[in-house]
Amino acid sequence: MSMLIGWLKERIPVSGDRLREMTNEPVPNHLRRWWFCLGGTPAYLFVVQVVTGILLAFYYQPSSRTAYESVRYITEEAAFGWYLRGVHKWAATLMIAAVILHQMRVYFTGAYRKPREINWMVGMCLLVCTLMTGFTGYSLVFEQLSYWGATVGANITENVPVFGTLMKRMLLGGDTYNANTLSRFFILHAAVLPVTIVLLLGVHITLIRLQGVTELEFEDQEPGEQKHFNFFPDHFLTELMIGLVLMILLSVLATALPAEMGPKADPMSTPEVIKPEWFFYVTFRWLKLFSETTAILSMGFIAFLMFIWPLVDGAIRKRWKGSEASVWVGLFAVIAIVGLTVWEAFVAH
Amino acid sequence: MTLTTKKNLIAALGGLFLVSLVLVQWREVQRREHEAGRGEAAIPVPASSQACVDCHGKGTPGIVAHWTGSTHAEKGVGCVDCHQAEKGDADGFEHYGAHIATIVTPLDCSRCHKTEYEEFAHSHHAQGGKILASLDNFLAETVEGHRAPFNPHSPTPGMEVTQVNGMASAFSGCQQCHGSKVGFQSTDGGVITLDDLKPGPDGKPTVPEAVERIKKDGTGRPLFHASTWPNTGIGRLNLDGSKGSCSACHSRHDFSPRRARQPENCGKCHLGPDHPQEEIYNESKHGVAFRDLREKMNLDAKEWVLGKDYSAAPTCATCHMSGHMQNGGKVTHDPGERISWTNRPPISRRMDTDENHAIVTETDPAKRRALIKDTSEEKRTRMKQVCNHCHTPDYVNAFYQQYDDLVVLYNEKFAKPGQKIMDTILKQGLRTKTEFDEEIEWTWFYLWHHEGRRARHGASMMAPDYTHWHGMFEVAERFYIHLIPQAREIAHKATEGGKADAGKAVDAVIDEILARPEHKWFSEGAEGQMDQIRKAMEQRYGKPGGAP
Amino acid sequence: MSEEVTPTTPPPADPSQDGPAPGCHAETPADPERRGFLGSLSSLAMAGGLAAGYGTFGCFAARYLYPAHAAATGWMFVCEVGRIAPGEALAYKLPDGAKVVIARQGSSGAAEDFVALSSVCPHLGCQVHWEGQNSRFFCPCHNGTFDPSGNPTGGPPKEPLPRYPLKVEDGLLFIEVPLEGLA
Repeated sequence: MSMLIGWLKERIPVSGDRLREMTNEPVPNHLRRWWFCLGGTPAYLFVVQVVTGILLAFYYQPSSRTAYESVRYITEEAAFGWYLRGVHKWAATLMIAAVILHQMRVYFTGAYRKPREINWMVGMCLLVCTLMTGFTGYSLVFEQLSYWGATVGANITENVPVFGTLMKRMLLGGDTYNANTLSRFFILHAAVLPVTIVLLLGVHITLIRLQGVTELEFEDQEPGEQKHFNFFPDHFLTELMIGLVLMILLSVLATALPAEMGPKADPMSTPEVIKPEWFFYVTFRWLKLFSETTAILSMGFIAFLMFIWPLVDGAIRKRWKGSEASVWVGLFAVIAIVGLTVWEAFVAH
Repeated sequence: MTLTTKKNLIAALGGLFLVSLVLVQWREVQRREHEAGRGEAAIPVPASSQACVDCHGKGTPGIVAHWTGSTHAEKGVGCVDCHQAEKGDADGFEHYGAHIATIVTPLDCSRCHKTEYEEFAHSHHAQGGKILASLDNFLAETVEGHRAPFNPHSPTPGMEVTQVNGMASAFSGCQQCHGSKVGFQSTDGGVITLDDLKPGPDGKPTVPEAVERIKKDGTGRPLFHASTWPNTGIGRLNLDGSKGSCSACHSRHDFSPRRARQPENCGKCHLGPDHPQEEIYNESKHGVAFRDLREKMNLDAKEWVLGKDYSAAPTCATCHMSGHMQNGGKVTHDPGERISWTNRPPISRRMDTDENHAIVTETDPAKRRALIKDTSEEKRTRMKQVCNHCHTPDYVNAFYQQYDDLVVLYNEKFAKPGQKIMDTILKQGLRTKTEFDEEIEWTWFYLWHHEGRRARHGASMMAPDYTHWHGMFEVAERFYIHLIPQAREIAHKATEGGKADAGKAVDAVIDEILARPEHKWFSEGAEGQMDQIRKAMEQRYGKPGGAP
Repeated sequence: MSEEVTPTTPPPADPSQDGPAPGCHAETPADPERRGFLGSLSSLAMAGGLAAGYGTFGCFAARYLYPAHAAATGWMFVCEVGRIAPGEALAYKLPDGAKVVIARQGSSGAAEDFVALSSVCPHLGCQVHWEGQNSRFFCPCHNGTFDPSGNPTGGPPKEPLPRYPLKVEDGLLFIEVPLEGLA
């Protein structure tokens, strides 16, 4: 045994101690509070998505002729196919929810401020990638709602000034939903976007690692208390626990509220009520409130503002010391987003 | 929280995860069982028919859906297997690389269903098309319509009518049950039928000149004449010389035995004023039991043998066609095999049949015996085997006694006398040979063709109301109140018009008939009879008002 | 958020410089021996719990990947027995497109008269084809040959061509074929 280890050590010159030191980042004590683990949660769920996604791809066929049938096969015939599909669906939902909560936590604790502006922007990119993965994944089922959701979604991009038509054509692989569309969505969903997410996550975590986790001090903290604890094994065990809780939650959700099959996509008839996935309710409602171009431009502007918010916030705080503008803006944004989502959820049209 | 606590918690959560996965496993098992119960067998589309299914699944999804649910589909019998045509068939045409025919005839079905084809071919059903030159057809083509197209006499707003098709009643009425003589449009505007094609025993036409005259569309598909197709009449005369249409009972394209087992299937044709078999069945105890116990009829059974697969109630098919425990489950496609009377003609005949399965009309006993191949008693024995599944022999025999008595009563009291009167009038030249141009001809037709059959059919299948009120009561009224007075009137007019001999001859026949004991009451009154009846009643029930 | 929060920047995270040493984390050490024993017991339990949960999940995934069930077979109608004369053969296509040669060798009309030969070479699965001039089946992959009954006559194949079961019912010929891969 020791010979084998020695043999390996000669060929892979990594020192175990050094490795432990490198990973053993000191973790600020506030991470003992559960809500500060919302960053690790989407990362864990991302791994779940990769695993279940690869499994689903074993049977999924990305062509408009066979897609629905292959999803039906997974759901109804393959052993545990319904379970894996349910886990994939619910992990997606939880992942998006966790990403949003993570972003809110970062925002309200001001953790995006100097020197972490760039990491906020990386996070924004991750958010966009996550939402796009959700959109393309939903379309792959090729049932009525997902088909029409994709059609409407693609047509919305057409309203982007100047580049609209180009974007739509790039997304659909043609002027309308056609034989190439589904394979495009599939490659985006299963290869392009996940790889992008992995790369961005790498940057995201490296930056955290280089800058250290934002340290927060709470009033109830005892003065003499240790300010840090070890990532390994202490925080690692916490993450393991969160992972297990998520797996239990996913299994129960997948069993109790399984992913079902709507009617097969029919390009000749639009269902009476069409809705995107819940995380697009905000944009869907927004589009109904304004003319398409206005809505698209305003949403683009809001997204851009979110992206550069650390810089804007920096400028504000420079001008007015101790300004709490960010809290108020944040509160307003949360209320608006929740309000629009609930509104969309409770009306048919 | 200490590390140890965390580790213990993780162990517990791991266990909980396992528990949730056990839940998943439980669901999976449940799902598998559910699926096994549903057990829908995969329908393999035969490679030869894949192209048909691909295209027709979009164009005519109903046809494909029906086929998909059929036993044919289960066993891998595809579109081409039935619709294939051979080179030289009059109706064959190229259709996307396959040489096919539109109409699948019994001869085509016989490629696989040989026994059924043969049984059907010598059944009375197969002769259904023979009415094309009969009294019924004369009614539809001449009395109700006109044998040639004629001009309209005033405009029809909203529709341009250039010609009236005088045969419409025959095409849409008679022939939809009895069967049409299938025909193509010819290039000269006529119809090409088997009479022109003269098919040989293999079904192929022997007159190439006639084949050449068949009109075709742009793709080479021969065009059928609308007067003859669509048609699924049971005695259809097909282009290949075969008779009938299997889909008359086994509707295409699912060819469901289930449907053929149910009375409604026969009821497409066996209903109405002249042969209300379906209504009679519905009135009978048999029909009542069927409606009540329908879900116990095991209608989807593979064999559907009475006594083995079901016993709840008999349907038309049960008694006349289906297999049962006493004949080894043998189905027959000749429903006449178990019928001992034919009640179709004016005077009922015993079903003694010759080698061609035709009824023997010979009256000389010795000659008759020699001709008969299958007696009516043998046929009745076959039917009794069915009855015996639910009834004792005494019961069955007594029923047949009741049935025979009613048929004989009708024959002797009304049918034979009526026939004799009609024949005498015709022989004396007091009515024309043309039917339905004189009132008495309608009267006589009503008597035997409608009312007389209702009475006999009612008795044959235990429907008392049809036997009596819709049957014998109306027969009697028709006879005494219409036929006799009309015959007397004809005799009277003949005598006055200088044909005294003819008038006397008719009167003599009527007098002879009415002098018979069963008719005496009509001329002599029946007061005495009423007294006799009253006395008998009093003997049985006591005097009215008196103590019992 | 009720707590007052003040973000500050921690010292640069370079563990080689001043990272806290492993084990410096505050835990009240009880009896060290007892704690070590309990700790390793907990570690064992933790490993067990993780293995049970994720292991089962892994088993489910493996079960999912294993083909759902063996290919179901069914009897399919081929033709009426009389359609193939003794000594003749019929090219029959299975629903999945595979080619089968059904040859009639006897005249009794029973299933034994017929052989249904798969066109899949038993050597390495290539498609054989009939060479009329040599009256043999030929496999282009490795020059395998078979006689008209499917017996190997040359080349690498040592086994005869696979045969499909046949049956005759009421004068109709049926073949048993896999139903997998069909809509």
